[in-house]
Amino acid sequence: MALLEIEQLSVSFDTDEGSFAAVSDLSLTLNEGEVLGIVGESGSGKSVTMLAMMGLLPFNARVEASRFHFAGQDMQTLSDRARRRLTGNDIAMIFQEPSTSLNPSFTIGFQLLEAIRAHEGGSRRQRRERAIELLDQVGIPAPAKRLNDYPHQLSGGMNQRVMIAMAIACNPRLLIADEPTTALDVTIQAQILDLLMRLQEERGMAMILITHDMGVVAGAARRVAVMYAGQLMETGVSHDVFREPAHPYTGALLNALPERHPGTARLPTIPGVVPGINDRPQGCLFHPRCTHARPDCRASRPALVTMHAETGLGIRHVRCYHPLNEEDLEIMS
Amino acid sequence: MLSFVFRKLLMLIPTLLGITLITFTLVHLIPGDPVAIMAGERGISAERHAQVMAELGLDRPLWEQYLSFLGNLVQGDLGHSLISSNPVLDEFLSLFPATLELGFCAMLLAVCLGIPLGVIAGIKRGSIIDHTVMGTSLTGYSMPIFWWGLLLIIFFSGILGWTPVSGRLSSSFWIETPTGFMLIDTLLSGEPGAFVDALRHLVLPTIVLATIPLAVIARMTRSSILEVLGEDYIRTARAKGLSPWRIIAIHALRNAMIPVTTVIGLQIGLLFSGAILTETIFSWPGIGKWLIDAVSRRDYPSLQGGILLIALIVMVVNLIVDLLYGLINPRIRHHR
Repeated sequence: MALLEIEQLSVSFDTDEGSFAAVSDLSLTLNEGEVLGIVGESGSGKSVTMLAMMGLLPFNARVEASRFHFAGQDMQTLSDRARRRLTGNDIAMIFQEPSTSLNPSFTIGFQLLEAIRAHEGGSRRQRRERAIELLDQVGIPAPAKRLNDYPHQLSGGMNQRVMIAMAIACNPRLLIADEPTTALDVTIQAQILDLLMRLQEERGMAMILITHDMGVVAGAARRVAVMYAGQLMETGVSHDVFREPAHPYTGALLNALPERHPGTARLPTIPGVVPGINDRPQGCLFHPRCTHARPDCRASRPALVTMHAETGLGIRHVRCYHPLNEEDLEIMS
Repeated sequence: MLSFVFRKLLMLIPTLLGITLITFTLVHLIPGDPVAIMAGERGISAERHAQVMAELGLDRPLWEQYLSFLGNLVQGDLGHSLISSNPVLDEFLSLFPATLELGFCAMLLAVCLGIPLGVIAGIKRGSIIDHTVMGTSLTGYSMPIFWWGLLLIIFFSGILGWTPVSGRLSSSFWIETPTGFMLIDTLLSGEPGAFVDALRHLVLPTIVLATIPLAVIARMTRSSILEVLGEDYIRTARAKGLSPWRIIAIHALRNAMIPVTTVIGLQIGLLFSGAILTETIFSWPGIGKWLIDAVSRRDYPSLQGGILLIALIVMVVNLIVDLLYGLINPRIRHHR
């Protein structure tokens, strides 16, 4: 049985001007110990989906799904209290900005011990030892001393390590990493990513890695999901998806990678921006920016369909009337 | 840390000097003179008037009077009251406990009520509770103190008869006042009923004096809580699966208190101006009422000394608030 099963998830926000859908018709499954990468531009609904999973959305958000199960439990019927027992314990999350994600008024130790105490027993002494052990595991030097430090005394990379220590404190079965390296220096990014992958492997926990760095996903995640304007555009085994993207959006994202165009002065871009929550176009959400758009793309919104790539290993889902074929890929590269 | 305190203390000197100059000027700008007022409606002959003025040293040029005031001040002498001829410092110190007791109770009420109300209003933003708290606090803030005090006296003392109209203790009690704080002295006296009587005298003035700080603190707490609740670290706390109560009481409140502390410090300064009106309304024998009497009698030394002492207290309180600020905000503590 899959660890996480989501079918037809939609998230909408009720505002004074009406209700706006941030995410619609999103289906995902994730197995125990599996790593899934979610990519997409800013505003594509990646974070909102994850916050919905954690139950961390503001009160004006409405989350609906035809199926939303975690470890066999129906998340939609769970009481608030039961939900809280799950969050931070079985599902944990780390965020983009480590420096603002830690409370500036409390020490690292206080915040870490609090996470341990919320879900696990043990004496004060045992918890302290556990905290030191966790800090050591995430590669923080002199962990016993750091317990008394405040977040502002540590660097961004160190703070993110503390966030990771807090997240893995209760041995979660699923770790959601929401752009964990975006706010960090390039050299630190690789270290944090390595740390996450090592912990994931050692502990066999499932992980959802949100990023807009395709390179990160290619290296880390076996499966990838591409999101655009609140919808899944393509999912599949990352190796396949990156070699033969089926959705024009995936193709365009890959084509925008600098490493694909060595020596060129101008990199290709995707013109335009992700449509905002209240100016989504008719038809396919991507068609205004799509170089392959045809009349039927403007008329109606395509559904996510299963497609079997000729050489593919896993199942591929694509939301497109005219998936890229070999010719298109030739032109692109 | 110590050098910070020392620097702040050093800065008090020029500020206090400026205050002496301003109060001295303002006090002498008030028309009339103490001798004419002492003489009352019967009047006094011009010769006798000039003689008394000379005895009090008030015939000298103003700059000379100012310099001699400063000279005495440096030696710790605030002069003598023109009315009672007691040293100004002694009068101030004997009356100050009454003001301090009232101010302390008012501030305690304002903080203990204002912070929870602000927090609840912030959490339940847009609810009936929020609108009620904010509406009431705006009313309280806009209400003139003297009028509000009179309304309370009419209703609770006049119509309901629950509380005494004025003073600190009923005249049926006669107790020793070693500390000057009536609540403590009545307890020490062992006189049955005296403590309750002192408390009943204290209730209305406390409410009146607390009204404005209460409103300001509640509003500040609300906006501060609202801001803090949107912070990333609150999301982290929720992601840990902590209870909503713990998130508010520990993670949000600690950070929200930083601006509220500043406001409380400022309110302590404003409390003295509130005390002047409140003490006058309730005939509370404290500094406020003493200053008003000094104004009406043109008791120059009492006015100058009293205002200077109050200014000193306000500045010291603000220094303490500055230090407290570092205590609740670790970022400031370490950068200093």
